[in-house]
Amino acid sequence: MTAARAFAVVGLVAFALVVLVPFWWIANMSFKTYEQVQFATSIYVPRPFTWANYTALWLDTRFPLWLRNSLVTAVAVTALTTVMASLGGYAIARLRFPGRGFVASLILVLYLVPPALLFIPLYRVLAELGATNTLASLILSYPTFTVPFCTWLLIGFFKALPHELEEAALVDGAGRTAALVRVLLPLAAPGIVASAIFAFTLSWNEFLYALVFIQDETALTVPVGLNLLIYGDVFSWGQLMAASVITTVPVVALYVFIQRWMVEGLAAGSVKG
Amino acid sequence: MSRAGARDSGTALLFLSPLFVLVVGLIVYPFCRAIWLSFTDKLVGYPERFVGLRNYLYLLQDDGFHAVVRNSLVFTVASVGLKVLTGLAMALVLSVTWRWRNFFRGLFLLPWITSTVIIALTWRWMFDSFPGRGFFNSVLMDLGLLRSPMALMATAEGAMFAVVVANWWRGFPFFGVSYLAAMQSIPLELYEAASIDGASLWRRFWHVTLPGVKHVVIVTVLLSFIWTINDFNIVYVMTRGGPGTATQVFATYSYEVAFNQLRWARGVTVSIFLVPLLVAGIALLSRYLLRQENA
Repeated sequence: MTAARAFAVVGLVAFALVVLVPFWWIANMSFKTYEQVQFATSIYVPRPFTWANYTALWLDTRFPLWLRNSLVTAVAVTALTTVMASLGGYAIARLRFPGRGFVASLILVLYLVPPALLFIPLYRVLAELGATNTLASLILSYPTFTVPFCTWLLIGFFKALPHELEEAALVDGAGRTAALVRVLLPLAAPGIVASAIFAFTLSWNEFLYALVFIQDETALTVPVGLNLLIYGDVFSWGQLMAASVITTVPVVALYVFIQRWMVEGLAAGSVKG
Repeated sequence: MSRAGARDSGTALLFLSPLFVLVVGLIVYPFCRAIWLSFTDKLVGYPERFVGLRNYLYLLQDDGFHAVVRNSLVFTVASVGLKVLTGLAMALVLSVTWRWRNFFRGLFLLPWITSTVIIALTWRWMFDSFPGRGFFNSVLMDLGLLRSPMALMATAEGAMFAVVVANWWRGFPFFGVSYLAAMQSIPLELYEAASIDGASLWRRFWHVTLPGVKHVVIVTVLLSFIWTINDFNIVYVMTRGGPGTATQVFATYSYEVAFNQLRWARGVTVSIFLVPLLVAGIALLSRYLLRQENA
């Protein structure tokens, strides 16, 4: 074995441990009873193994409702974002109009504006619209970060597509919209799917806006609900861990499914070296 | 302008209009309101009055705010520094991985797609002082390296260390993947030429690899600096800014002042203090990103 291979093996093992140990620790705790945790009886593997936390989480807490709220929000935000970002990304990448460079820079700048700067004034704006305490406040506010990011990604994707196909469609008498819908969209599908998954993940994981805009316990999303469980009076560690596992699995599944596109999207969109 | 050009402009206007509505209504307008609010004495439930620079002057003399600035800088510099070093290590490891490289790259990216709330929660438990719950206490005691459990997060330095670790863990995969992409685009001939010249492994890394990834390192550092100095989730969920004010950073302090003390105007002002720094960071970053976009 060469030095490079030894380095690779040691490095891969080290990074795999760093990445996996925290996940394993949470999953491990989610399959233990309260007593097993409290008296530290089976520390590294849950023995005996129990599903009790999952059933309790499902039956005794509002978690199913929070999950539904997160899902409704994420799906609505993803749909809105995909439409806006595809149209915008196409226009900036493919159409010639005055101020195009400015609009492209603006999108980038907006993608970098941190939510921490906007949550207080945004709360006031949403309150004046009567949207606080409902999922509408999230569906309206999440696009402020998903749309700039996804538009930026899609500009890259649309730019990379061959011009000839679209020109052929235009020569054949198709309008811009028809050219976009029939010719370019199918070609850009991988990019659009990747950007949709990004939008879904960002929305699914968002915490600050959801914490600020929603107080009504029936309208909470999962991250804020989890935060309630942490600081609740009942020490329901196991349920908290079970909730973390359930929340992480869909995102990981989505991500495994499109990993290649996502990584390419990242490399193409944000940090093309 | 040609007819096609005019038609393009009309279509562009149509396609970009949803985006404009969003940007003006929910980003630009709230931002302007934030600037205005910072010049008022707005308390929740009371109408606002213009007070000029009073909020700014108050914060400049506020010990709590001084702590926030110090903590935010420590938190950000430590996290970003760690991310660069481990990101480079991860990219180097993956670049010499000869099989299943995509699998490992995907595996290492997992922290980056996981919810920050869950990450914060996870690391809270990893560092917990109770052996059955805290991973490090359990392992160190079983190895005999620790006689009694250590309450890391109860100390100021320990709590800062814990939030830095959690932030680092979430962020380093993004750095690693970006550096890997940059390393893979370095022409092999450069390495071959260096080998022929008799350059050692270390010199090849120093003179070929590092210059090849320099651009991406700068971009990731700027990007991560902007995100980390504005981090809310990890600190809020792990420590609530405590113990005391030991881990209070800009975003958590802004939230604390606005929603617990109900002083909205002052809360907004806390985050406005970051705007000049953000503008500088964004301007630098845009130059880097747009330059490569046009290249």
